[in-house]
Amino acid sequence: MSAVTFSRTRSKAPAYLGSGSRLARRMKTTAGTAALIVAAVYVIAPIYWLIVASSKNIAQLFSTATFLPPTHLSWVSNLKSLFTYEGGDFSWWFLNSVIYATCTAALATSVSTLAGYGLAKYHFGARRTVFGLVVGSLMVPATALVVPLFLLEHDVHLTNTYQGVILPLMVYPFGVYFMSIFAADAVPDTLIDSCRIDGASELHAFWKVGRPILMPGMVTLFLLSFIGTWNNYFLPLVLLGSENRFPLSVGLSAWSSDLMLAGAGQPLYPEVILGSLISVLPMLILFPFLQKYVARGLTLGAIAGE
Amino acid sequence: MTTNTAGGTTALPVPLLAASVSPRPQRPLKTAQGRSGLLMTSPFLILFALFFVAPLIYSVILSLRSPLTNAYTGLLNYRTVFAEGQYWSGVIRMAYFGAIQVSVMIGLAILIALFLDGPYCRGRRFFALVYFMPFAVPGVIAAIMWGFLLTPDLDSALKVPHYLGLANGAVTPLDYRLSLYAIMLIVTWEFTGYNMTLLLTSLTNVPHQVLEAAKVDGCSEFAIAARIKLPLIRRTVIFTIILSIIGSLQLFTEPVILNDIATIGNSFTPNQIIYNTAFSFGNEQLAAAQSVVLAAITILATVVFYGLVRRKMDPFAAGRGVVR
Repeated sequence: MSAVTFSRTRSKAPAYLGSGSRLARRMKTTAGTAALIVAAVYVIAPIYWLIVASSKNIAQLFSTATFLPPTHLSWVSNLKSLFTYEGGDFSWWFLNSVIYATCTAALATSVSTLAGYGLAKYHFGARRTVFGLVVGSLMVPATALVVPLFLLEHDVHLTNTYQGVILPLMVYPFGVYFMSIFAADAVPDTLIDSCRIDGASELHAFWKVGRPILMPGMVTLFLLSFIGTWNNYFLPLVLLGSENRFPLSVGLSAWSSDLMLAGAGQPLYPEVILGSLISVLPMLILFPFLQKYVARGLTLGAIAGE
Repeated sequence: MTTNTAGGTTALPVPLLAASVSPRPQRPLKTAQGRSGLLMTSPFLILFALFFVAPLIYSVILSLRSPLTNAYTGLLNYRTVFAEGQYWSGVIRMAYFGAIQVSVMIGLAILIALFLDGPYCRGRRFFALVYFMPFAVPGVIAAIMWGFLLTPDLDSALKVPHYLGLANGAVTPLDYRLSLYAIMLIVTWEFTGYNMTLLLTSLTNVPHQVLEAAKVDGCSEFAIAARIKLPLIRRTVIFTIILSIIGSLQLFTEPVILNDIATIGNSFTPNQIIYNTAFSFGNEQLAAAQSVVLAAITILATVVFYGLVRRKMDPFAAGRGVVR
């Protein structure tokens, strides 16, 4: 099915696609590439700045050239102050972000994969309703959920806990939708049938046949859910009150809200900048390797959502 | 209850239907197997009921209660919302924001994707990767980076126009007149590459034969991009626009962080207002009403936009037999 044909990169344009003289062609290529480079500079500049600025102490931040590294690098002292400020809150935030993102991604992927496979391969009564719910829920904005979620969680003492953040984020309708399309296409009914003939239960058949085939899709879902949770701000901000449960996003925003406060001591500019760098660096380094999995998930969602 | 597979899913989008139902008619499955399907879906359904449906219903119930006594008051909170100038100026600000930002962003994304897909491009993979990178950067971090870069004390480049005699004093993009545009700059940075990636992958699915035929007919490269490729990916374009409209109306992270860095105001967007109503003023009932109204506006905007573009769908739609 065409929906699951993923990005085929046309590395080279076929010869017949050329038009006009060679000179015109060359000029178009140069002009276009120049425009692409300008756009790339816009994308990279802030990240480059973050790396450069993270090596400056507070005096250097306000006195040296914005986009040039300082003569004296302050990375070591910045790192020390980042990880020791207020009893080392930052290490906790990093650890918390890892916990939230890893648990959410693993659990959301498992739940969605099982559900998507069930929807694709079995035709039970509620099936149509479930699909309707999944598609409809993609349209409901998160705002309408977060405030009542806080109140409901508050009543059952789930606010300020790890599970209080992880459980709502495990509900991943897009994941179910994605997996049902993926499974319908990738897992042949005949394989499941042959498992049944061998006397395997349906769940066993899923484990033996479905799970290995669906693995690439699960990687995609895991990454999408991981990035989504790592980047999430609104939900943990509302659900968490104490600093030792904060993920990086909420923690860093708490620090940045102190920047303008008078009498809050030395403003935390170097710590906020280095902390920001540390919270994006792992993903940015891995991104070239993960890009194709991530793009595939988004694209299948878009094509199927058309 | 057993459902006929062919008739059972007609309400769903066609590609989903096509993908989820096997091409050949299936023999009726045994109930035991159907039950296994339900069993596999049940963990999701339980979580969905608890953490999605329940809050949604609770939101509506809460919005009908009095902020003072928590007793049922009918539509009183909604009357308050509709009379609330600040809320509506937030909504209008986001409509204005969305109209400009979404057009610029999707326009850029289309241009870049078409160019990367065309024959005049060098380093396609490299640029595709670079543009997609902000997807991995949390909104909070994006706002912090840009917030600092748009503060003259931290960014000497903003003083350059002053030295050149073009401006009186440093450029201050985060002051009250320009902050909305500063946020547009940030959001465009965050999401252009994401949308471009969706469009680019759609473009790689355009069949070679179609492009070849156009070429044989003497189509210029520009005409191919504008008349063939663009119409063929229009559904993905519409999808990205709808996602962006929803995103604009929900704007929260960027203005909150910028307000920490430069004091742009804490009631800039409807979402900020809802957050303050609930957590600064403790008026959860009014906040619930505000968020129900925002949800309704979001869905309405989506539906209206979809209705508008659907009518103007190009002639290909009929020929391809895609019915929505």
